[in-house]
Amino acid sequence: MRRGETRMRGSRKTSPPRMNMAPLIDCVFLLLIFFMVSTTFAPMPGIRVKLPPPGRPSTTKPKGLVLQIADPEPGNPYGIMILNGQVVDMPTLFDRFMNAPQTAKNMLIIQAGRKVLHQQIVEVIDLAKRAGIDKIGFAVVARTP
Amino acid sequence: MAPLIDCVFLLLIFFMVATIMRVNPPFPVDLPRAQMKEEFPRKRYNVYIGANGEIAIDDMLVGTLDDLDRFFAQKAQLIRTLIIRADKMAKHGDVIDVMERAKMRGIESIAIGVKEEAEY
Repeated sequence: MRRGETRMRGSRKTSPPRMNMAPLIDCVFLLLIFFMVSTTFAPMPGIRVKLPPPGRPSTTKPKGLVLQIADPEPGNPYGIMILNGQVVDMPTLFDRFMNAPQTAKNMLIIQAGRKVLHQQIVEVIDLAKRAGIDKIGFAVVARTP
Repeated sequence: MAPLIDCVFLLLIFFMVATIMRVNPPFPVDLPRAQMKEEFPRKRYNVYIGANGEIAIDDMLVGTLDDLDRFFAQKAQLIRTLIIRADKMAKHGDVIDVMERAKMRGIESIAIGVKEEAEY
């Protein structure tokens, strides 16, 4: 009798169990804010380049423009540039590219020495792209392993 | 309360998936400037080349070109466009070495990273 009473009283008092959600939500919000702040959607700017297929160096004379850049002399960060046999410098290079015959303008091949600074290469590519030369290739002068 | 939590969880999962951590290479890299540039989506596995020829993949320093070759052999499938971010004082030969290793491992699309307008 007494036990039954207790059970009755207990069952009357039972309500659905409630979980305290507040700390969980705090935690999730914190994670959310962390990921929102660390996400970067900004794209990376770059210049697309092409390389000749590996393994087989082409023996035929390339049809497009060929720019050769010599290793820079001490004291001058820029190397001497030769475009299809003629010495050119940075200020006149853009005009040379612009005045090149249309057939030659489909591709520029850069043959540069290993010590040429990356800066000079990027400047040349930039000028070429502005002059409408779309494909830029490098003649590979890789270090022999 | 429940819909709010559902919503927050959804956002959380979205940001977790979309997050690509901004990583810095272990050496300073001052990228060259260019006026003509394309935009590439920010992905993992960018190659950095320092002014003295150091090579790093994201924030991991790569000792030799053979290590780089091994890395490309493993991860070539995951790289759609390899962005080579070389310091403007880096040597052209070092850049070409990296390009050639990538090309040998079947990475067809290669780009040279240039300076962002708003560099952080």
